[in-house]
Amino acid sequence: MSNPEQPPFRRAVIALNGGPADERIVRLAAELARPSRAELVAVHVVEIDWTLPLDADVAGRSDEAQRVLDEAEAVAEQVHYKIEPVLLQARDVAAALVDEASERRADLLLIGLSYKTRFGGDFAIGRTVPYVLKNAPCAVWVVREPIVEEQQ
Amino acid sequence: MIGGRRPIAGRKIADRRVRVERPHAPYFRYSGPGQLVAREAASERPKTATGRFLARLKNVALGRPLANEEEIGERLSKKKALAIFSSDAISSSAYATEEILKVLIAVAAGAALAYSVGISIAIAGLLAVVSVSYRQVCRAYPSGGGAYVVARDNLSQLLGLIAAAALLIDYVMTVAVSTASAIEQIQSIAPQVYPFRIEVAALSISLITIGNLRGLRESGNIFAIPTYLFIGLALLMIGTGLVRVLAGDVTPLHQQNVFHPPSPEPLTVFLLLKAFASGSVALTGVEAIANGVPAFKPPESRNAANTMTAMAILLGVLFVGITIVAHAFNIVPTGPGGDSVVALEAKTIFGSGSVLVLAFAIATALILFLAANTSFNAFPRLAAILAQDGFMPRQFGFRGDRLAYSYGIVLLAAIAFGILYAFGGDTHALIPLYSVGVFVCFTLSQIGMVKHWRAVRERGWRWRAAINAIGAVLTFVVLIVVASVKFVDGAYLVVLLIPTLVALMLFISRQYQASARELAVRPGLVVPLPHREERVVIPIPGINRAVIQAVNVGRSIGDDVRAVFISEEPDEAARIRARWEQQVPGVPLVVVESPYRALVGPLLAYLDVLDRAWPPDKEAPITFVIVPEYVARSWWERILYNQSARRLRTALLGRPHTVVVNVPYRREDPSTLDSTLSPESAPPPPGA
Repeated sequence: MSNPEQPPFRRAVIALNGGPADERIVRLAAELARPSRAELVAVHVVEIDWTLPLDADVAGRSDEAQRVLDEAEAVAEQVHYKIEPVLLQARDVAAALVDEASERRADLLLIGLSYKTRFGGDFAIGRTVPYVLKNAPCAVWVVREPIVEEQQ
Repeated sequence: MIGGRRPIAGRKIADRRVRVERPHAPYFRYSGPGQLVAREAASERPKTATGRFLARLKNVALGRPLANEEEIGERLSKKKALAIFSSDAISSSAYATEEILKVLIAVAAGAALAYSVGISIAIAGLLAVVSVSYRQVCRAYPSGGGAYVVARDNLSQLLGLIAAAALLIDYVMTVAVSTASAIEQIQSIAPQVYPFRIEVAALSISLITIGNLRGLRESGNIFAIPTYLFIGLALLMIGTGLVRVLAGDVTPLHQQNVFHPPSPEPLTVFLLLKAFASGSVALTGVEAIANGVPAFKPPESRNAANTMTAMAILLGVLFVGITIVAHAFNIVPTGPGGDSVVALEAKTIFGSGSVLVLAFAIATALILFLAANTSFNAFPRLAAILAQDGFMPRQFGFRGDRLAYSYGIVLLAAIAFGILYAFGGDTHALIPLYSVGVFVCFTLSQIGMVKHWRAVRERGWRWRAAINAIGAVLTFVVLIVVASVKFVDGAYLVVLLIPTLVALMLFISRQYQASARELAVRPGLVVPLPHREERVVIPIPGINRAVIQAVNVGRSIGDDVRAVFISEEPDEAARIRARWEQQVPGVPLVVVESPYRALVGPLLAYLDVLDRAWPPDKEAPITFVIVPEYVARSWWERILYNQSARRLRTALLGRPHTVVVNVPYRREDPSTLDSTLSPESAPPPPGA
């Protein structure tokens, strides 16, 4: 990544959470991937709590989970780029993302982050992004949504 | 859509996850909860090899299917719009002079030919009035004011339909006349084309049709170039001709091939009116700009109105100019296979065999083909509006794979070619059919505009209404003249055709309204749970897997299930009954012996008897007739199997309180019956 002669990445995993940042990171990834024709894998993870078996029929029946990936695919098609959508069920979203990126030998993991504040006004980064930043073997780009006026 | 799930071990225990397959992805896209959008792969999926081959062939000819969001909504500048919307009107200057001369030449020794200039000036005056009137339409209807819309909104639905019928005829005639005239231009540089003019017409109409089915848009420069080339060369020709006239450098042309009228006629007012009516074909296509106001760049109405004026000036100059030069150089129409008047004029002015003559002929042919193309945009759009209003079959409102109104395009091409073929590709023979429809539209839209201004009463409404009123009176007078002087020549066909089309559209509307009334659900009605009883009848040809499958489906519908076996031979019936009672217990078998060997009749009679036997105090039950069907794998299997099932379905179609259910049996399906049925019980398939 540090060598300017090399393409920025050859395979990237885009983490989708169904939020408004998804469209932004898919467009960004497609534009960045285009010069080197890098492979893009869009991953959406549905968290399964411990009351259900991990292979319970949850994500396959969820219209919402399918919509997240379908919309990402539609955005990629709009900018004439192909992505591979992947739907996963896991106990922990962050661990699944890191492992997926690692198994696919991705050299970049792109993740969107919405701007939320805790009670009291502190920025709430959540637990997925810190885990990914700490454990992902590849480069990680976090794209935070713009702060809207009311939240300032 | 329950996807398969594949476990992935992960590097650590906590990393274990399950990959969920998405079987819907190639065919659908989720846009919200319970909401799917079909993708291209789901839209048309031919199952057979022949179907797939035909689909591939269609894709090669017409292009890949387009999604709704791929529609291009380009706005046109005035320059581009002038070229695109005016090709129909301006191209008529290529044959309008000739039409006047063909009438006047009937007077002995060409004594009436001098009147051609005066007649062309009178028509140009009419053009001025019509274009000023249509400027008002552009301002009042920024969403596009076709004669149908104006007449429907301001006058009445019936008058709107008359305008629509006239417009539809006008569009068909534009294709026929423009194509015939374009071929005449080609003839002037390649006379050997004459014997093949019908074939050339078929080819050109086919190409325009394919282009439009592919979703050809009139926004490209390709459409502007021929129009401006024609205008430029025609102005150069007229200018050069007039300079030579003023300089006294005129050598009258001595033509060998001269058009011979059917019989010589004296110079009368009727003849002059007839020449005027023939020449008024120059006004065809003037309304195109008013129809296409939304396609202009903002401010749409002003730009469209100004383009209308520019077009009228250009058309007037070209038409009068061509007529003056033709008269000055003594150019008269030629007989069959000869050059057109404009081609002769070009040869006289530019010199026979010069590059400019060739360029002018090509430009004239191209602008005429473009004029035909204008109708290919307008006709399907009008047909779609009429279909939406319920006056034409709904198919005309559906857009095809390439976002074009395919039904309208194909219908227009078929009728236009039929007319060209019937009239032998002769422009002159087609003209009498042309002008009547055009002037019906002009008159109705102008009367509609007068009512519009009276209703809105905005600033300056009085003079606007006055302009449209003058336009209405003038175009109505011309309509009467055109219809009466050309009645015998063919205008009677249009006079008959307009009411026929209107009657047809009213009939279609009444049909749709009647069915809508019958199908309507009262708003606010909460649909109650069904309370009618169900009865299942399964006609069987014997005992086989398809029949067993149908029986199982029947049992899942209701408890009252019975099989009916129509038999010609009592012995066979007894055998089937014995096996049935042993193998399908719980489902009664009714054997109907049919000594007259009929199959469908006895079954229908049996169903009638069942209905009559139903207690009269109870509501009639719904009878499900379950037809076992053996799925054919190829075309020849379709001939061998299911013939009886097909006849049965046809006979049951529309029977009251009856639902026909087809239960297909596929050989490829893994059967749950393998363990329960002996091999010899499987064949023969039903209905064979």
